Amino acid sequence: MSGIVRVSRRDFLRYTGVGAGALVFGANVSSAGSLFLAVAKTVGKVYRHRFPLNNFVSIQLDGTVVIVSHRSEMGQGIRSSLAAVLADELGADWSRVRVEQADADASKFAVQNPFAVPGSTPVTTLDATPPFLIPEEGAQFTDSSRSMAAYFLPMRLFGAGIRLVLIRAAAKKLGGDVGDYETKEHKVRNKVSGRTLDFVDLLLLAKKVPLPTYQESLAALKQPKEWNFIGKKMPFVDAPDMVRGKAVYGADVDLPGMLTAMIERCPVANGEVKSFDDTAARKVPGVVDVVLVRLPMTVPAGGVGAGFLPHAGVAVVAKNSWAALQGRRKLKVEWDLGPNVAYDSNTFREKLEQATSQPGKTVRHRGSEDEVDAAFALPNRVVEASYYVPHLAQAPMEPPVAIALYKGGRWEIWAPSQGPQILQQYVGLAMLHPNPLEWLAWGEPDVFDLPAYEFVDNRSFREGLRRALGWDEAAELKFRRDLKKEIEEKVKVHVTLLGGGFGRKSKPDYAIEAAFLAKKFPGVPIRVQWTREDDIQFSYFQACSLQYLKAALDLDGHATAWLQRSAFPSFFATLFPPPDPRLPEAVRELFTQARALTHNGGEYPYLSAIERGQGLEDMPFDVPHLRLENCPADSHIRCGWMRSVSNIYHAFAIGSFADELAIAAGRDSKDYLLDLIGEGKVLDLKAEGVEHFDNNGFPVVPRGEPVKVMSSYPPDTRRLRAVVERAAQEAGWDEKVKRYKDTGRGLGIAAHRSFLSYVAMVIDVSVNDMNELTIHEVHAAIDCGVAVNPDRIVAQMEGGIVYGLSLALHGEITVKDGAVEQHNFDDYPVLRLYQTPKINIHIILHDLEKLPPDDPRTQPTGVGEPPVPPVAPALANAIVAAGGPRIRELPMWESWETNTGELPKVKVL
Amino acid sequence: MSIIQLHVNGKRYSVDVDGDMPLLWALRDVLGLKGTKFGCGIAQCGACTVHLDGRAVRSCAVDVGVACLSKITTIEGLSLDGSHPCQKAWVELGVPQCGYCQPGQIMSAAALLAEHKKANTKVTDDDIDNAMSGNICRCGTYPRIRKAIQELAEEGAS
Repeated sequence: MSGIVRVSRRDFLRYTGVGAGALVFGANVSSAGSLFLAVAKTVGKVYRHRFPLNNFVSIQLDGTVVIVSHRSEMGQGIRSSLAAVLADELGADWSRVRVEQADADASKFAVQNPFAVPGSTPVTTLDATPPFLIPEEGAQFTDSSRSMAAYFLPMRLFGAGIRLVLIRAAAKKLGGDVGDYETKEHKVRNKVSGRTLDFVDLLLLAKKVPLPTYQESLAALKQPKEWNFIGKKMPFVDAPDMVRGKAVYGADVDLPGMLTAMIERCPVANGEVKSFDDTAARKVPGVVDVVLVRLPMTVPAGGVGAGFLPHAGVAVVAKNSWAALQGRRKLKVEWDLGPNVAYDSNTFREKLEQATSQPGKTVRHRGSEDEVDAAFALPNRVVEASYYVPHLAQAPMEPPVAIALYKGGRWEIWAPSQGPQILQQYVGLAMLHPNPLEWLAWGEPDVFDLPAYEFVDNRSFREGLRRALGWDEAAELKFRRDLKKEIEEKVKVHVTLLGGGFGRKSKPDYAIEAAFLAKKFPGVPIRVQWTREDDIQFSYFQACSLQYLKAALDLDGHATAWLQRSAFPSFFATLFPPPDPRLPEAVRELFTQARALTHNGGEYPYLSAIERGQGLEDMPFDVPHLRLENCPADSHIRCGWMRSVSNIYHAFAIGSFADELAIAAGRDSKDYLLDLIGEGKVLDLKAEGVEHFDNNGFPVVPRGEPVKVMSSYPPDTRRLRAVVERAAQEAGWDEKVKRYKDTGRGLGIAAHRSFLSYVAMVIDVSVNDMNELTIHEVHAAIDCGVAVNPDRIVAQMEGGIVYGLSLALHGEITVKDGAVEQHNFDDYPVLRLYQTPKINIHIILHDLEKLPPDDPRTQPTGVGEPPVPPVAPALANAIVAAGGPRIRELPMWESWETNTGELPKVKVL
Repeated sequence: MSIIQLHVNGKRYSVDVDGDMPLLWALRDVLGLKGTKFGCGIAQCGACTVHLDGRAVRSCAVDVGVACLSKITTIEGLSLDGSHPCQKAWVELGVPQCGYCQPGQIMSAAALLAEHKKANTKVTDDDIDNAMSGNICRCGTYPRIRKAIQELAEEGAS
């Protein structure tokens, strides 16, 4: 089978395992696919027009092109940008394009990877068999800044393929060769005769012409110079509704008879409700009921957070939010806090310091162990420093919220979710399959049309799982088949706009709460509304981290050896908690094995490949001797991820330390940074002992035919060098450094590669005798390959820098007696407008026509997260340059006080 | 519970709620005006900003028993069709990202501009700092918010 095919849902399932080289346009018109039907009502009649439907685009009877956004919109503009890519290839008139949001549906949006080579050696998770463009929990999981990186090419192929269909239809009607036709502004035009037909005039005919093959669509892709939307400033389709208050976020979903629940949760992870007194709560006018929230898990999964299950708690269900809130305040709950009550983040920091004082697991080395140690033993100057970043909370403006309606054994859920498929599966599993052992079967590709978690392919693991569950192979197969059907039938998920995500809304705990409560009130929609206090206290926290660095400098100040030890709790401790000690050993072994096998999840308490690959293993500097280590860190609160994740720690430490070395060597910070990077090259991490470089899930090394159009994305320090040079030049580095010398003003610089993109930043600050820090200006340069929607790239860069300044200056979550000490924006402050400096963004543009087709720069890469990591080190370095203290721990606000005995006054000009 | 008269966006509503219910929840849960957002509940973030007699206030910190004494304007009442200069500038300059805080930002900005137009005074950067620093945006749209207000102030918009 090859080529674009129209397939039924059942056929789609059959084909997904087959045919590398096939791009499947699943034409699902039979089931819940109403989104994809062009429906028009005329004279009391409903016409269902199904035009070349794939799951991403349809054309309505009035000619409107409806493009489905399967990715969640949380401010990055992805609904606009992906649609613009498809519309550009199609040749649509932008004013006749509408974007619709997809419901959760793994079968529709897992796009088969047309580029995988059968029999090729798996290099990354992308090479999983059967191949998909997006691995993991499904194509809708909007995280890791990869919507555009992963879907640029598929969207173009869809657009080009449908353009060919329309052209074939037009040629049938008007005659002539299909090669004489083009599309422009919603019209198909014969370039020879000049005759044109609107898309709307071709709909019926288009159903009768053959669909193009994958190869034909590929050959029909426009050249970059022919792009009309890609690379241009495109309108943000949601903005008009947003500014009128008409945009619908999670909390804005309003259903008849809906009740609102607020939940008092156990302050300590994995604690339980011992008892509660709801007498006073029930007396509050408007309160309807009080419900214990406790999921019926039959096997204790152990660990922290047990995957994405919610904290135990007591819900007050009421007629409105205010009544629920008042009732909640009147609850008296006694908690069984459990063992995590002993967690104290200050004490834990000492533990991290101890851990990094000893050798950890080596994750990358250049030169043998002996050579690295010998380099330090030489009579060189040795510089060492430790850097600390505390726990952080994402704090999106819209606190978590979800609405669930339970009726006839089925759930319908509305939620602002970054991972609608994860949400669907977790709700299904939590509500219907209380045995977590069964959950270990959920990553099987037959279940959700997704590539397997690696453990699925592990025979001994599967045998162990069957033994533990008392299944034979037939029972296992049946379970999987039924589970897929069961969950897809019983849990329907609608995705609203997200009032910010930043990683918080990839975790569906709040939706599981809603599903749980809804089951208690059949037929009544239940909205679980989190307060800001809930959001801050029950985040999936960015882990706290300690980084220890040591370098040897020769007599000329060149770094000859670099040792780095990275320690922080892995978020895999939340995803795959260490098993409960009460479980039989064989079962414990299964949980442990599952984690280790999944994305190279590592062994508790060490890091996963994902975390190691975010700025540690790909440490960019060209130092002759290098050893990078991971030291153990256990976990006692729910750790998750926050915009740019582990890159935050690694960039802060590496970027600050580079500056410390420059100062030790008596060199200019920018020149020294460029020296550390060297001339630049593609890093060969494998040769330096990195077994599995995650690379954000994208290929590192090129593959053979028919891969040409899809790049590999190796870390390339030439590109890092280029952004450093660009940012420095735009900031007027050389001139200003001279001018600012000894004036209390200074520039700081830092650069980091993350999510396949390269960002460098220069921050300009003053520190005066009054202990005032003034942040004047930021210049940042980004190389994200193809700049698809430049205005949104600039917006993400501006916003990412503000997010980075928030965490650098103010961000800190502390934990005492197992409970978070911060509550709201008064004690977890974030940057405000008056503190925001002037921000200048510079996008590196490539001459796409001149690049070979397999060059990574011909593809777009991440934009949402890459601006965050360089902010803290660039700011720390600028403060030193301006005569302020060297700050090695965040938030800077408090470190400054520790250093100077006085809090700084931050002002911005 | 008591019957309270609210004057919102030129219409009168009778609501049967406690007088100490914050205006925010009356607007959202009782009147179904969802444009005003809940962000913090303690007047720290400004997502719930509305106008009381033209002044920008945080509706999470104003009880309905107090709000009933004033004319209330929400984002839905700022214009019928998105034609308020702030709304237009916000779209043209691509200010919103997730957009959740923007109704509150716009209400604060609109009050600032209207105040200066009435007094016929120039909007300075300090005025923008003062008027807008009660509104948090986690997406970090501050640079564009400032630019939009500066441009509107130049044009003399209200």
